[in-house]
Amino acid sequence: MPAERAGYTVTMFLVDVSPSMGKTRVVDLPDGPKGEKRTREMTNLEWALQFVLLKIQEMIYNGRKTDQCGVILFGTEDTENCINEEGGGYDHVTDFIPIAQPNSGTLAKLQALKPSTVVGDPIDAIIVGIETQDRYLGNKKTWTRKLVMVTDGENPIEVEDWELTTKKMNALDVRTTIVGVDFDDEEFGFQEEDKSHIKRENEQFLSTFVSSLTNGILGTCAFALQECVRPEPKLTKSALMAYVLRLGDVATRPEEAVEVLVKTSKCTAVARPPSMKKFAKRVKVGEAEVDDMDIDFDDSNEVDGEDKKDIYAMLKMRTEYYLDRVDGEGGDGENENDNPEGEGEQQDGEGGEKKTTEAVERVDKEQLIKGFKYGSSYAPCPDGQFPKLTTEKGIDICGFFPDKNLRRDWAMSEVQYIWADPSSGQQQVAFSSIVQAMLERNVVAFARWVTRDGMDPKMGVLVPRSFEKVDCLLWVQMPFADDVRRYTFQSLENLVSKKGEKIEKHAYLPTEEQMSAMDAFVDSMDLMHAGDKDEEGNRMPWFDPRFSFNPAVHRIKQALFHAAVVTDLKTNPLPLPHPEIVKYLEPPRRVLKRAHDATENCKSAFKVQQVPKRVARARKDGHVHAQDDEDEELLLDQFAKRPTTQSVRAPSPTLVESHIKGNGKGKERVDGDVMDVDSTTEPESDGEGAVTQGKKAKKGANALPTPTHSQRSSPDPAESGGASAGSTGREPGRIIGRAHPLEDFEKNIRQGDIVSKAVEDLAWVVKDIVMRPFASRRHEEMVRCMKKLRETCLHEDEIDAWNFFLRDLKASCLAESGISNHEFWEAIQAKGNEMSLISAGEASSLGGQSKISESEAAKFLQT
Amino acid sequence: MAPYDDWNKADEDEEDELQDASTFEGQRDVVLFCIDASESMHAVRDDPNGDGAKTSHLYTALETAMQVQKRKVVVGPNDSVGILLFNTSRKNESEVRGSTEYKNGTYVFQSMSQVNAPKIQELMRLLHEFREDTDFFNKEFPPMEEGKVPMGDVFTSCNWALRDGAPKTGIKRIFLITNEDNPHPGPKAARLVTSAKTTLIDLTQTGVTIEPFFISTPEKPFDPTKFWSSVLPPSFAEDDDEVDESLLPASISISRIEDLLAQMRFREQPKRAQFSVPFELAQGLVIGVKGYGLITEQKKGSYKYFTDLGDRMEVVEPKTLYVDEDEQNEVDKSKILYGMTLGATSTSNDAEDDSAGFGSRVVPTRNKVFFTAEEVQSFRTLGLEPGIKLLGFKDLSELAFEDNTRHSTFIYPDETTFSGSRRTFTALMKTLIKKGKIGIVRVLMRRNSSPLFCALLPQAEKTEESGWTEPGGFHLIPLPFADDLRAAPIEEACRASNDVREAAKAWISKLQIKNGSYPPDGNPNPALAFHYAQLEASAFREEYDPESFDDLTEPKYDMIHKRAGAILKEWKAAVLDDQSASTVIVHAGSKRKADVSIDEGEIRSKHKGGQLSKLKVDELKEFLKAKSQPVSGKKADLIDRVSDWLVAHP
Repeated sequence: MPAERAGYTVTMFLVDVSPSMGKTRVVDLPDGPKGEKRTREMTNLEWALQFVLLKIQEMIYNGRKTDQCGVILFGTEDTENCINEEGGGYDHVTDFIPIAQPNSGTLAKLQALKPSTVVGDPIDAIIVGIETQDRYLGNKKTWTRKLVMVTDGENPIEVEDWELTTKKMNALDVRTTIVGVDFDDEEFGFQEEDKSHIKRENEQFLSTFVSSLTNGILGTCAFALQECVRPEPKLTKSALMAYVLRLGDVATRPEEAVEVLVKTSKCTAVARPPSMKKFAKRVKVGEAEVDDMDIDFDDSNEVDGEDKKDIYAMLKMRTEYYLDRVDGEGGDGENENDNPEGEGEQQDGEGGEKKTTEAVERVDKEQLIKGFKYGSSYAPCPDGQFPKLTTEKGIDICGFFPDKNLRRDWAMSEVQYIWADPSSGQQQVAFSSIVQAMLERNVVAFARWVTRDGMDPKMGVLVPRSFEKVDCLLWVQMPFADDVRRYTFQSLENLVSKKGEKIEKHAYLPTEEQMSAMDAFVDSMDLMHAGDKDEEGNRMPWFDPRFSFNPAVHRIKQALFHAAVVTDLKTNPLPLPHPEIVKYLEPPRRVLKRAHDATENCKSAFKVQQVPKRVARARKDGHVHAQDDEDEELLLDQFAKRPTTQSVRAPSPTLVESHIKGNGKGKERVDGDVMDVDSTTEPESDGEGAVTQGKKAKKGANALPTPTHSQRSSPDPAESGGASAGSTGREPGRIIGRAHPLEDFEKNIRQGDIVSKAVEDLAWVVKDIVMRPFASRRHEEMVRCMKKLRETCLHEDEIDAWNFFLRDLKASCLAESGISNHEFWEAIQAKGNEMSLISAGEASSLGGQSKISESEAAKFLQT
Repeated sequence: MAPYDDWNKADEDEEDELQDASTFEGQRDVVLFCIDASESMHAVRDDPNGDGAKTSHLYTALETAMQVQKRKVVVGPNDSVGILLFNTSRKNESEVRGSTEYKNGTYVFQSMSQVNAPKIQELMRLLHEFREDTDFFNKEFPPMEEGKVPMGDVFTSCNWALRDGAPKTGIKRIFLITNEDNPHPGPKAARLVTSAKTTLIDLTQTGVTIEPFFISTPEKPFDPTKFWSSVLPPSFAEDDDEVDESLLPASISISRIEDLLAQMRFREQPKRAQFSVPFELAQGLVIGVKGYGLITEQKKGSYKYFTDLGDRMEVVEPKTLYVDEDEQNEVDKSKILYGMTLGATSTSNDAEDDSAGFGSRVVPTRNKVFFTAEEVQSFRTLGLEPGIKLLGFKDLSELAFEDNTRHSTFIYPDETTFSGSRRTFTALMKTLIKKGKIGIVRVLMRRNSSPLFCALLPQAEKTEESGWTEPGGFHLIPLPFADDLRAAPIEEACRASNDVREAAKAWISKLQIKNGSYPPDGNPNPALAFHYAQLEASAFREEYDPESFDDLTEPKYDMIHKRAGAILKEWKAAVLDDQSASTVIVHAGSKRKADVSIDEGEIRSKHKGGQLSKLKVDELKEFLKAKSQPVSGKKADLIDRVSDWLVAHP
């Protein structure tokens, strides 16, 4: 199909405004925000006009001067048209909007239309339409003529001599569309009940009328409206760009070097959603600002008369430059206000903004110098760019390699076609010989492409393709060394033990049973024969990029168009997306059904479980919530049997003090809370939480379940629902928190004089954590804690404390009733004697004392 | 959630790139080089690459540190770097270091601070001194006379060094370079191991990771099991995974000293995930994955505006405001609504409307004609949550080469969100490789992006000769939408005869890399390198000589001509002989201009006779166009260009 020339079209819209069009109908609206069914009553005229409005909106959107339209009404009280002026007749037909490029006024005028009191004849309107169009186009022979009529077909039509009309229309090649309100349509599956006799006759007639046109269609309005939002790729004809394909040194060894004249054109080009403009309501001076954009429309508020108008102004972007003098250490400027209620981003944004404007000063752009940052140094560069590399436009082949070695995942750009120069047979032969030779040798080339003299070069591959009558190359950009990120990942399949041996069985490795479950699942979800049937009745593959419309592009376009043609989105909300847009968003139902058993099998074989989400970490603003005990207490309630053997001591102010201020050695040790805040900097930022201008964008409380693991090698606290972000989970009076017990402990031990308290508290915390739900995630950490604890006890003469703790722990772990944790005890047992009671022998080697014998210690662990 | 105004980034693809760039700017990388300066590291030997030059492990380590700083300074100007030497008797003067006294045997040569030009220059001077006098390092950083520093002390010093100088936020890493596989032999070994281990755990608890670079030489082989495997935490690079104590640390790399820089390259950039989302294989079967941009176009970075504060230059931050131009007032972001202009304001509007100004819209009060930011976002995402959803499987051959629009993303299982992710992921990967299948998935990478369809291309783990291991996982290859596809504009052209094709095959096979592939490593981006080189010169206040720049991406002309020069000549002759070359395919030209004949012979003869000016502008243009030359300018320019071309192509 030859690409149709865009624009150069005059479309005549013929709109039936006869009284019958005032009949009302109930139109389904998309479900409301709470899933409730919504409907709206509107006249047939309003309903049918939507089609006209959408068509006109598309013209406005495309913005072509040569895409014009005119509107003619029939059934008007008055008569005003070019034929009537000259020869009379053609009554009740009005040239409503003269042919011109449409604009918002066109839409507004149509939106204001009301049904009249007299009836009009569609055929009269058609004749007036083509005549008006013909006169307007006079000498513009090449323009395309289109005619669109909307009618309900309820009024008499003068059917005499209609063949003359169709003959004229065919002669002028008028492309005609007739949209009928509630016309029967077998394919669409619509049939109107209680259809009036006259309408039935008229439908019959219009159908005959259209079929005698070389270029005409008749459709029912509901279908037409749906088709209005059917996604259609915008046909863009790619421009051919001239290049030279080179091989060898053309400058100094031309007799051996190759130059082939080629043209390139785009093979893929990402389509973007139409851009939306920003608007804001103007607030008149002195008028209180009312939040009018509430979607819930409260009638009682409306005291103003109907004439009252709101003005929405389009906003322009402006850039200002600010110097932040305070921001010495960069990262500390993140003083955005905390928002414990999580009232959403708006507040955050405002708050942050105010802060910034206070702390920073605005600088005039004229006083600024362009340059680059070189670390903390500054490299001036007044032009904003250093001199560029001298390059010569063209495509230089660097070498060939087997096509099987082409890394598909390295392709990093849109694809370009490369063709031989269409005007030279010799170039075509030369080019085609290269392409065919490459195909036969199964190689692809890699090449360096410079789009213009002096432009930065790109590297890429040239892949040969042979079509029916022409050969071409495809170009795609490949990464430079700088573009490849070599991240290391742990091997998925080869797990090696500390002893250097390969591990065959591990929770990370799928078992045979799991492999076969996956095998069946993959087979059952195969799409190769899951699509529509071809001509021979064979099922084709499901999913074809040629029919996969970009949902965002088409949905936004639909939304924009809709907002432009309706007068109020509250009463006329955006309809659902066209089925074509969403068809690939879910797997085909047939396949899902087929895969049901295999899926269930997989589920039970792999036993994937969601790890309970942890509460988002502390914000970077240093605001730490007062210990958020709510959830904690809930947890504690469930486990009221919390050990009470150890009396909770009165909070010791000195300890807490030293903890928070970390006095003594300046900032040697920052308070535990802040430490935690520090380490929140995730080495792996999810793109969304990306950072702008050095200010951390904060994640909303309900943001992605991005694990907020830091590089800390210990698993993070398990009290998932528990202590709020940044809290160390310390109980009052305790100097060891639940969040990072080992860290706290070591810190305290280093400080020296509070060993007994630290030992006691760590012991308490370990037991507390082990006896909580989800403790298994922290088993390993607890074992580490215990190791450290034991070591400390051994060296610091706290042997009895250890032995007491271990017995207590064992009893709790193996408790017959209530809460127990056998698994953890098994882990301790596995550690052997190094985790057992401290025996007399062991103690004495370090000058300590113990009442436990060697054998007692060994036996203790075995049971 | 991204700020409201983010959604309207002019184009979505750039949004990706932008976010990537912002991680460079915002996420600070903090690297402390912790280099062993023991006697064996000092040992001077011949530089294998140099002519008689001498080198030592320490020299190479410091040079590597310098190279890494040079890279960091351009790629991540906010990153911080420091250098700590251990096993040296040199000490920090305590007053310089403030309150902290580092442990004996450790010396902070460059304290932690943001990378900058003077720091790099200092290192370069130092390296230069060594080249002049190989004993220089021995004087500068004398090795300890007796024994070795306990590793525990080294880690403690590292901890202090990081604490003193490193910014609070950032990814802190220690690059440990040593050739000593058993620093603590002898009776006290066990205790020293324990203390090393605990101090290291202490260090990792504060969010620091260790990246060891162990040097192994034939004379002094390195056995990690002697000491290190029991000290280093398992899989420290895998900060995110639940660590299994029984596994050998994956990131212990042992290399020859010559590979140090290359090894460090692999780890130079901290691993950053772009997103972490659930991957739904089926309803109720969901695993966690993280996405990594392994192929991302590295850009120059745009210039910044600086203001002169007298004593220093300071960066100013640009801020974007939205203003109502007529009223000249800034509009709060939360009040912004979205819609489209309705073209020029219609002429029929009444006076009141006209006063509203261009682009404004007047509607009856309380009518809603614009969308809110949330609504716009829901149009973008179609109400979907971020995640990957499996749609089904297809044959690998269904993934056409031409179905590409942008770079791929790599995904790897994330055990921390869903336990069992790894085994499920691995099983899926192995099954797809075995069956030669790909997955088709719907992907919403971020809360604010639009759904994409991607091919899920399995990647088997593969160790390359260079020692690099290609990780196992899946590549997400975004497929083009129907809207992105363009038709081929040319449907017919002349084709080569067998003879010509055979002639072409001859030189193609000569120019083929046997079993090779496209080599990204051999092709550093010349434009970037050129930019960096000039940036460096500017920061060092040096003149830059553009002549000194070597573009590695230029074709290897000598090799091409040596291998295929003669056969290329033959092929060119064959092309000229080809019969079909003279047939002309008639094109349905869309141009309505009169056909312009551009007979080259005629133009050449005119050129010889100095008659080019007799030709019409159209003819000149047509000729130039056929030669892929620009057709801009006046007639005189065109004539010059034509004659230039004819001279250049006799």
